[in-house]
Amino acid sequence: MPELNLVQAINQGLSQAMEADDRVVLLGEDVGANGGVFRVTDGLYKKFGPDRVLDTPLAELAIVGASVGMAIYGLRPVCEIQFEGFLPAVMDQVICHLGRMRNRTHGRHTIPMVIRSPHGGLVHAPEHHSDSPEAYFVHTPGIKVVVPATPRDAKGLMIAAIKDPDPVIFFEPKRIYRSIKEEVAQEPYEIAIGKARIAREGQHITLIAWGAMVHTCLDAAKRLAEEGVQAEVIDLRTIAPLDIETILASVAKTGRAVIAQESPKNCSVASEISALIHERALLKLQAPVKRVSGYDARMPLFRLEKYYVPDTDRVVRGAKETLQF
Amino acid sequence: MPLKKIADFKIERLEVLDQEGRADEALVPAVPKEKLIETYRIMVLCRVFDEKAFKLQRQGRLGTYPQILGQEATQVVPAMCLEKKDWILPTYRGQGSYFARGMPLVNSLLYWGGDDRGVKFPEGQNDLLFAIPVGSHLTQAAGFALAAKLRKDPSVTLCYLGDGSSSKGDFHEALNFCGVYKLAAVYLVENNQWAISVPRQFQTASQTIAQKAIGYNVAGIQVDGNDVLALFKAVGDAVARGRRGEGTTVIEAETYRLGDHTTADDASRYRSKEDVEAWKQKDPLKRFKLYLLAKKFLDEDADIRFHKEAEREVEKAIEEYESYPEPNPLDIFNNTYAQNPWHVEEQKRELEAILKTKKERQGPIVTQSEGRFP
Repeated sequence: MPELNLVQAINQGLSQAMEADDRVVLLGEDVGANGGVFRVTDGLYKKFGPDRVLDTPLAELAIVGASVGMAIYGLRPVCEIQFEGFLPAVMDQVICHLGRMRNRTHGRHTIPMVIRSPHGGLVHAPEHHSDSPEAYFVHTPGIKVVVPATPRDAKGLMIAAIKDPDPVIFFEPKRIYRSIKEEVAQEPYEIAIGKARIAREGQHITLIAWGAMVHTCLDAAKRLAEEGVQAEVIDLRTIAPLDIETILASVAKTGRAVIAQESPKNCSVASEISALIHERALLKLQAPVKRVSGYDARMPLFRLEKYYVPDTDRVVRGAKETLQF
Repeated sequence: MPLKKIADFKIERLEVLDQEGRADEALVPAVPKEKLIETYRIMVLCRVFDEKAFKLQRQGRLGTYPQILGQEATQVVPAMCLEKKDWILPTYRGQGSYFARGMPLVNSLLYWGGDDRGVKFPEGQNDLLFAIPVGSHLTQAAGFALAAKLRKDPSVTLCYLGDGSSSKGDFHEALNFCGVYKLAAVYLVENNQWAISVPRQFQTASQTIAQKAIGYNVAGIQVDGNDVLALFKAVGDAVARGRRGEGTTVIEAETYRLGDHTTADDASRYRSKEDVEAWKQKDPLKRFKLYLLAKKFLDEDADIRFHKEAEREVEKAIEEYESYPEPNPLDIFNNTYAQNPWHVEEQKRELEAILKTKKERQGPIVTQSEGRFP
């Protein structure tokens, strides 16, 4: 099996989904001739032509709004919002239409589309290019939110997202776009949306994360193991809907949980997971669930981003506080 | 009922200087000689700064940087047409407009070097920090102009944007406000022909961007954006109209982004060398210099002196930038609110404690791997 990085794996997933279904259309800023600013769509314009890969005018709201129309018409649009910092501009479509159409038309109109966008910090990017806005989407009923942490998952989740009958927000953690390579099966396959992955088994504490932060948690688990603590690491893969079974089964085993995320803390995905664990497994807990998080402040310019995004130290620290409770 | 013509529109293009810097004397605006020379000096400074900043990025001494190469005239001249009380809302490719207003060079280096202290502008400067999400400042500009109108201030708001921004809904909404309230605003569209990889003809099917003004009953004109005198005339007229209470003007200044979109881009993937070379011949600095030489406002010695002074000024700014003390991580929390609530303060104390233990242990500050942009 060839080794692919995340960019190549998503590219392959997109390409195979387009080969399998001619309703799949890509659109976005610079996704065509330029192959996307991160080269995720590299070569697809050449392979599938301008009717399948559309360079759009600079208009994020129109990219998503047009995708909604195309999806209802019968296509399977996969649109790219070039940076997560440009997603706020599309929230009108996301909140008012994307998540509501199926429900308000009693199932007559559905929106099987995907919005792709990079996610997270630590790449020394300019302002508005390092954010983690997933909570806004997870909060919105009717849409699914996926954040892969490995090339293998990225490809399978992309194919599943495109086939999914509901709208899917597909966040691509840009910190690990190129830093991780692994063997990825050449043939098309799906990774089920809504199913988490146990990235590491352990019995003393559960570390929960998604996207790039999974790798920070795996590092933290290694450090904890040096001190005799066996941490279980859950890679959620999908953050809406959450794989509640996997989370609760792990917490039932370990009695302790730390959730690590890059985004601000207030009303975040970690907050929701923490609430769910407390509501459903209170008597299994040996300690309160801990959130190790970005801060309730703006993501700073890149000189200070390493202090904002939780690092291994902060996850280890959070785990120890939980263990010593 | 016969079909009747109920309205008729035209769109004009203004050019004053030809490629050799010869002016159409009938169109030359009344700009004092000193102002022209100062404009040239700042344009030279922009060019030198831009080259040095680009090199700094390549040497890993600066973050992602958007070059203004080729857009010195569209950046500097409009800002030179304003008074201090007027507001400007530049774009992220806006170093030239800030420098023309007197912003220290070091601020720009700090900002693009990833240091938030770069946004600390000198006191009393009516310059808004640019918005990275493209076009999101366009409606705000209408707000500045609306506030000025409500307060009966004779100030004008200058809003810079690109050809890409004109595709956003914000453009429509902003100009509609401007038309309805008859606001003293100037929207300076730096049409540099490219929104990253998307060329102007795929950005809009409209023959010009200037003609979009018609839909809002505001004035619109296209100018040669590499022509300093045409810009002085068009922007000067627009500012005067605004100050007289005659409303908004859209100025499409046709120029060219000679560099990549940013240092993270590679424009050779999507555009031809020939296209770039053709536009290099229309260099705004070169044309303006030829004009100034012919008018005897400038001689070669003075030009060399401007370049040397610019080099020194930029070197000094780089020195200052690189000798800045490390930013304080606790500054992350500053100014989140007028008075930070408990959870922000708590998180600040949390980070403070972490920094203390890290210092004691003297271990690596960050243990995780970092990615690459893009």
